[in-house]
Amino acid sequence: MSIEWYLVVSAMIFCIGAGGVLTRRSPLVTLLCLELMLNAGNLALIAFSRMWGNAEGQVFAIIVMVVAACEVCVGLGVIVAMYRRRLPIDVDDMRELHG
Amino acid sequence: MTTAAWLVLAFPLAGTVIIGLGFKLWPGRTAGWIGTLAILASFVCAVITFLELQDRDEHHKQATSTLFDYADTVGVDAKLTILVDPLSVLMMLVVTGVSTLIHLYSVTYMTGDRGFSRYFAYLNFFVFSMLLLVLSGNFVPLIIGWAFVGAASYLLISFWYRRRTATTAGVKAFVINVVGDIGLMLGAYFVLREFGTLDFLGVFEQAGAAPVNTANLVAGMILILVGAFAKSAQMPFHTWLADAMEGPTPVSSLIHAATMVTAGVYLIARMWPLFEVTPAAANVAAIVGAVTLFVAATIALTQTDIKRVIAYSTMSQIGYMIMAVGAGAYAAGMFHFMTHAFFKALLFMAAGSVIGAMAGIQDMDRMGGFRKAMPFTFITMLVGGLALSGIPPFSGFFSKDEILAYTAQRGGWFWILVVAGYAAAFLTAVYTFRMIFRVFGGEPVPEARELEQGHLHHAEVHVNPTDGEVEDTDVGFPGPEHFIAERAFPMKIAMGTLALLATIAGALQIPEVTHAIDSFLHPTFEGSKYYESLAPSESFTFIGMAVGAVIGLSGIFLAWQLWSRHRGVTAGLITRLKPLYALSHNKWYFDEIIDALFVRPAAWVGRFAQQTFERLVVNGALVGGASLIVRAGSAAVRAAQSGLLRSYAALLLLGVGGVALYFLLQS
Repeated sequence: MSIEWYLVVSAMIFCIGAGGVLTRRSPLVTLLCLELMLNAGNLALIAFSRMWGNAEGQVFAIIVMVVAACEVCVGLGVIVAMYRRRLPIDVDDMRELHG
Repeated sequence: MTTAAWLVLAFPLAGTVIIGLGFKLWPGRTAGWIGTLAILASFVCAVITFLELQDRDEHHKQATSTLFDYADTVGVDAKLTILVDPLSVLMMLVVTGVSTLIHLYSVTYMTGDRGFSRYFAYLNFFVFSMLLLVLSGNFVPLIIGWAFVGAASYLLISFWYRRRTATTAGVKAFVINVVGDIGLMLGAYFVLREFGTLDFLGVFEQAGAAPVNTANLVAGMILILVGAFAKSAQMPFHTWLADAMEGPTPVSSLIHAATMVTAGVYLIARMWPLFEVTPAAANVAAIVGAVTLFVAATIALTQTDIKRVIAYSTMSQIGYMIMAVGAGAYAAGMFHFMTHAFFKALLFMAAGSVIGAMAGIQDMDRMGGFRKAMPFTFITMLVGGLALSGIPPFSGFFSKDEILAYTAQRGGWFWILVVAGYAAAFLTAVYTFRMIFRVFGGEPVPEARELEQGHLHHAEVHVNPTDGEVEDTDVGFPGPEHFIAERAFPMKIAMGTLALLATIAGALQIPEVTHAIDSFLHPTFEGSKYYESLAPSESFTFIGMAVGAVIGLSGIFLAWQLWSRHRGVTAGLITRLKPLYALSHNKWYFDEIIDALFVRPAAWVGRFAQQTFERLVVNGALVGGASLIVRAGSAAVRAAQSGLLRSYAALLLLGVGGVALYFLLQS
């Protein structure tokens, strides 16, 4: 199968993730969509890795997964903390840092 | 040899630092003794330098030493260099010697003043600056010393800083001196441009080969003359000196009579190779000196403040010196500088003693009859007065007549200057003895009677002698005690030494008999056009001396007639010669003219700048405009910081997308 198919799938997943980040107001969904975007990137990395026949892209994808895991830990922790303090779970309501 | 010369500089500086740092710790008169010893040590080192210089042979009487380079780059060689040669050694000896005596006098005179330590710190600082000025072998340390003495003069004129008249007098002296500083600095720039070096010896070496009267060099030398005139109180920069009498009397004696005001004379004598290739500038100096010596003598005739009479006399005598060095009679000018330092310092000290007896009053209208009460002061003032009037065999006689004889040798229009000099010599004798007869002759005033009975007058209420304002005796005003030479041993030593010197110093240079100054200064002025060619013949010299003596004696006779024999006749003269009297009494209206021409326009410009320009342009346009721009810019940036996570994400995507698109289209 040629590389284009993989890249098209990757681009579609990325766009779904980006659209989710831009439109959804729940921080939980925003995090999910971020995961989608990251994994779209991973897909593209692995596809290129296969195309060139070396392992560097795969190594990079594993590092992205590690970073994503950390990010989700922190993000979910923040959301749980917000929930416990009875803060609204809505990214548009949390704008204390506006200028 | 230069080691001793550096020590001459080091001692007063150390004195300033020690007295200044511990000014609250020194008990009683300690600070005064520290200051006096520092200057005495400096004088000893000056004598050592002099002896070492005398050991050298005739053609090697010049030594330079550089402590460090400020800047030694292309075209500029600013170095801390001292030049030790006969001229600087003569200045050094007179400055340190007279300063030692005046410090000694001050130790008593300033006792009881709350600013005693501060006074001696300032006074040592002045001596250091003056020595830096006379020793420097490079234009840069010269300018530094020049500005330092101006600063020291300002500090000491305004020493009693709670007196309004004293602070304004200090400001006036400082402003006029800064005008002179700027003149000197620009003049040094012209010299640097012309010769490519700031080193004195380097400049003088090239000056001999320079073409005569080139426009640039004449302009530079006139600018240097502005500096000399401002420092030496010559027309039209002379008005500050009379006001400078607001300072304590020993300060007037040291700074405003014996040393600092003669810096201009020294400068012209030091720059002789430059002035000899710019005769136009040298002639300006001679003419200004002659005008000043005459005008100042006429003003001194009608002043009633005893210190101001001596101040105008100082201007007049410095006019003689400036005329001499401008006309090429360098040795005569320096000789008169030396004798003048002795007798003028003495006159001020005697005046200080009289002021002490009057408990701070300086008005001669209220003095009289002190002869019996203060015999020592009377004798010293008489010696000073005779020397000032040029009566043989006192020192002033020889030096003044030498100046006039040498100037006359130039011939042509220099004769006009000589006639002015003789006329002023007559006036000098008149005003000097007017002062002496009014203070010491006639009926004793109550203060004198009190003193005759052994009780020194003590003022219940102290007033400012200039405007009569009532003062206390705390710091910033003169202290409560007063001292007269009769009762203070240090004052007596200082005045006695100076009286002796004022009497015998003339023996150094009696025409046709001795020529110590001439031969001592010869190495400095070697190669000068005038130094050797100006040699009055024997008969000419003796005729000049006879004329000088007769003029001096007739002046004293006139003063005796007017102020001793026929007391009160002057009131009639004043009404008959009203316009002349008014001209002289108002100092030829110089203060008013300068006020109208410079002070008031400057004050108006200042008010305009403060009230209109600052409010509209500085506050309104510059400050307001700048803050308006910043505020508008920050408001725009702040608006972007919405705090909305999704809009940030959108902007990020847009940005990254834009960059990606750009690179795609590029490739």
